[in-house]
Amino acid sequence: MSTLTLYMQYIVNGLTLGAIYSLIALGYTMVYGILKFINFAHGDILMVGAFIGLLVYTALTGDASPSAWTLTAFFISMLVSMVACAILGMLIERVAYKPLRNANRLAPLLSAIGVSFILSNGAAWIFGTQSRRFPYPFENEPMHIGSISITPHQIVVIAVSVIMMVLLTFFVNKTRMGKAMRATSLDQPTSQLMGINVNRVISLTFAIGSALAAVGGILAAFDFRVYPSMGTMTGLKAFVAAVIGGIGNIQGAMIGGVLLGILEAVGAPLLHIPNGMKDTVAFAVLIIVLLVKPDGILGKNEREKI
Amino acid sequence: MLNFFQLILIYAGIYALMAIGQNCITGYTGMLSLCHAGFFCIGSYATAIICKTFGLSFWLSLPVAAVATGLVGLIIGIPTLRLKGDYLCIATLGLGEIIRNVATNFNPVGYNSIPRASLFGYQFASRNKLAFIFLIWAFVLIFYILFQQLAHSRLGRAMIAVREDEVAAQSNGINVTKYKISSFVLGAAMGGIAGCLQTAYTLTVQPGSFTFMVSVMVLCTVVLGGMGNGKAVILGAFIIQFISYLPQLTGLTNVIPAQAKQIIYGLLLVVMMLWRPQGILGRDKYRYGDPRTRMEKLSDFFRRDKKGSRAKGGAV
Amino acid sequence: MRKAIALLLVAFICIAGAAAGGSGESGSGDTYKIGFIGPLTGDNANYGIRCSNAAKLAISEINAAGGIDGKQLELIAEDSEGTVDKALAAYEKLAYMDEVCAIIGPVFTSPALAVAQRCQEDGIVMISPSATHKDVTAQPATNPDGLNYVFRTVPSDALQSDVAGHYFYEVLGYRKLASLYAMNDYSQGLALGMKETFESLGGEVVAEETCMVGDKDFRTQLTQIKAAAPEAIYIPNYTVEDAQILEQAAQLGINVRFLSSDGFSDPEIYNLAPDFTDGVIYVGPAQAEASTILSDFQAAYAEMYNGDAPDSFATNSYDATYIIAGALDRAGSADTTAIRNEVAATKDFQGANGTMNFAPNGDLVASQGVYEVDGTTPVYIGSFQIVDNHIVQVD
Repeated sequence: MSTLTLYMQYIVNGLTLGAIYSLIALGYTMVYGILKFINFAHGDILMVGAFIGLLVYTALTGDASPSAWTLTAFFISMLVSMVACAILGMLIERVAYKPLRNANRLAPLLSAIGVSFILSNGAAWIFGTQSRRFPYPFENEPMHIGSISITPHQIVVIAVSVIMMVLLTFFVNKTRMGKAMRATSLDQPTSQLMGINVNRVISLTFAIGSALAAVGGILAAFDFRVYPSMGTMTGLKAFVAAVIGGIGNIQGAMIGGVLLGILEAVGAPLLHIPNGMKDTVAFAVLIIVLLVKPDGILGKNEREKI
Repeated sequence: MLNFFQLILIYAGIYALMAIGQNCITGYTGMLSLCHAGFFCIGSYATAIICKTFGLSFWLSLPVAAVATGLVGLIIGIPTLRLKGDYLCIATLGLGEIIRNVATNFNPVGYNSIPRASLFGYQFASRNKLAFIFLIWAFVLIFYILFQQLAHSRLGRAMIAVREDEVAAQSNGINVTKYKISSFVLGAAMGGIAGCLQTAYTLTVQPGSFTFMVSVMVLCTVVLGGMGNGKAVILGAFIIQFISYLPQLTGLTNVIPAQAKQIIYGLLLVVMMLWRPQGILGRDKYRYGDPRTRMEKLSDFFRRDKKGSRAKGGAV
Repeated sequence: MRKAIALLLVAFICIAGAAAGGSGESGSGDTYKIGFIGPLTGDNANYGIRCSNAAKLAISEINAAGGIDGKQLELIAEDSEGTVDKALAAYEKLAYMDEVCAIIGPVFTSPALAVAQRCQEDGIVMISPSATHKDVTAQPATNPDGLNYVFRTVPSDALQSDVAGHYFYEVLGYRKLASLYAMNDYSQGLALGMKETFESLGGEVVAEETCMVGDKDFRTQLTQIKAAAPEAIYIPNYTVEDAQILEQAAQLGINVRFLSSDGFSDPEIYNLAPDFTDGVIYVGPAQAEASTILSDFQAAYAEMYNGDAPDSFATNSYDATYIIAGALDRAGSADTTAIRNEVAATKDFQGANGTMNFAPNGDLVASQGVYEVDGTTPVYIGSFQIVDNHIVQVD
């Protein structure tokens, strides 16, 4: 296998991972854009999304082998999970974050961690701690292009992520509600004065972010399996991706996610260091990126204080 | 029961030391750092290596841990402290993860059977928790006083000025970078000292325990207590540790499943934050230009509780 | 504000007081308490929960059969979250508040090392079902009597990796292996141990890739291993990682044999990667000849825990509970020294994992079994020991 194809293979693998990070990073970035706060429970919403998706999918198909019906069922379960997570996201916002909206900027962080504890341990209580496999709803025979292998599930992951991001970009840039969202993120009091229902916009932001997390969770489930703490590390990585892209910036989150995914896959072999150090490489590069571009890749220069 | 309560006091003391450091970085200077797990890790490793590998005294490892951690803080602080807000937060979080990742790859088992600390022939055995309580809380007291003094010194006021408005501080001739880095190094060194004392108690160091959750919990300790308020963060450390061990302390864990314990913990965090968004004690009131001499301040400090430290909530 | 703090303090004191009242009656004489320390929440909770479940099952069996001298056994499981400080807190609670007569656990090496030190100091029997690192049983006996209180029902990783290296080289005839292991004490210990044995025999480990526990994407490592073209790949990891590795290897078109360790004996692997387990050979616990203890245990476990299947660590935990119960029975009291002496005197214990004995340092003396997976069923090949640097089949 030539070095070139070897690296092509790494990049294909990294893209899959990156697509998932991007989807989850979108949720972080949208919430941050409006509320300037890190939703630490986002990773756990992803986990809930994966569990709901799995439960609905198994209920619909049982042990059926891949067919057109399982594929339909897969998208139905994804839809159900998106709706459920959107509701969960709004609920969490209403109960745990809204009362803190005018408090210290770090106060919601603490209640977010509390929510995260409740969600992940609640799931462990209800579903048990073992990992579950998400069955492939389609034949997952690897395809070989030259000596590069790619599986249909990788294609699905990338395709669904791209579709979601296109839809989101369209929504934010072209619709009335999207405009309201952008206005709220720019200046909350002024948008309120302009007749924008800020509470509704914030609820909607949480709903969309959580729905995207649900999609991310289900797509991640193929590779990651479904288990109660699946969101912790994935969420952290996605958050890093969001910041790298320039937090609050939707395109930035996508770029950051893909960059992080590829870095993880390529970084260690490129530098000839053990693969156990891949996180070190990824984080080190991200810090360097930040030092060069202190506001992230696409971020705007903004001042703030704690 | 009492025995377990003593353990909570020990852990609370260790967290209080870390929280004092975090408070210096976040509370005084206003930098959002999530790196304390990394500093904690370096402090623990410094003690483990000095006591185990080199067979030297624990008391030697204490300053070495502080200096080593401070140095690391300096090295990573110089480039990263140019970053602002959440970008700084993520850069420091990344550094914490790098430290853990490198430590794990270096040796996933860590260190064990580290020799005990001893003082004038008295050995600090882990089973005698009272000795540890005195040791650790003595450090908490010393550093509380030191940092309280610092906060009201020129350095501390400069840090607070940087937090309040960097541009204004700069235009008043305050070297922002210098004060940011000093604050970061001091905070880091506190993490090292906490790691050192933790190692003296557990006698085992495991890279897996320095996850970013530790950093987050230390930050939470500061937020929960009240940012920039020395007394508050110590109280915060005690409360965080207390509620996390409450189910075990009350024997509740014999009855409920372990997940329920964590859920209770999560619920308590949310409820406490909703109840006191500005922290239990809130931010400390600034006393600009204190006319008292150092001796007066010190004597006042021990008598003060009556009127001086009344906390003002929500001053952001 | 002041009032709020005062209220808070009062509340704390009330809770603490109530608790003191509540826990006052513990330590009364009609039950024997056995402690368990393991990760019950967090990333690695699965291993801890299985082990504690198995111990609970053993205890309910013993109690159903009349207990020990008419006294019932009680298991108190405390969460370590897999970290040293939480494990020590759990120990503190079990040893001083519940005053247990023996402790099963901790599940992972680092907490086990920390707790082992305290057990040696305080003189409380500790039997770990899964801490494989060599140092666990090397803690000095610091109690006044100088007795060893730390045991384990899992073989030291040195023993298992030795058998693995010999088996791969001598029986399977491999000369070029690759290994992919997680950076934790368990996987690294096995991989390095196997490498040492295998290379001392004349084989070569052509690719040695690492990952972190909890990693989900092993394609980079597998691509590198594929490029090194080994005859087989040794993956001594926990179930979840192994499942992912097998599946992703198939996706990358790697079709050499996979070799594994007792982490593979967890039946969960057949749920996670059912299409990819065929042909895997792994070294695991030996089975008792003509004994139904293991299958009875598995059946009882599945019945009690809704069809969940126990892994080899849970099986070890089950055996550990019976060893403690046997020692309690013979000691006739909750005196920790007497219990320790009886545990140490355990001779040819017939457990779910075959015949078990303890070495003077508390290590398990046992043969190692080898299994080959046919589809999704492990087939027992036999149990092996190393005699004079050669592998010998025992039965």
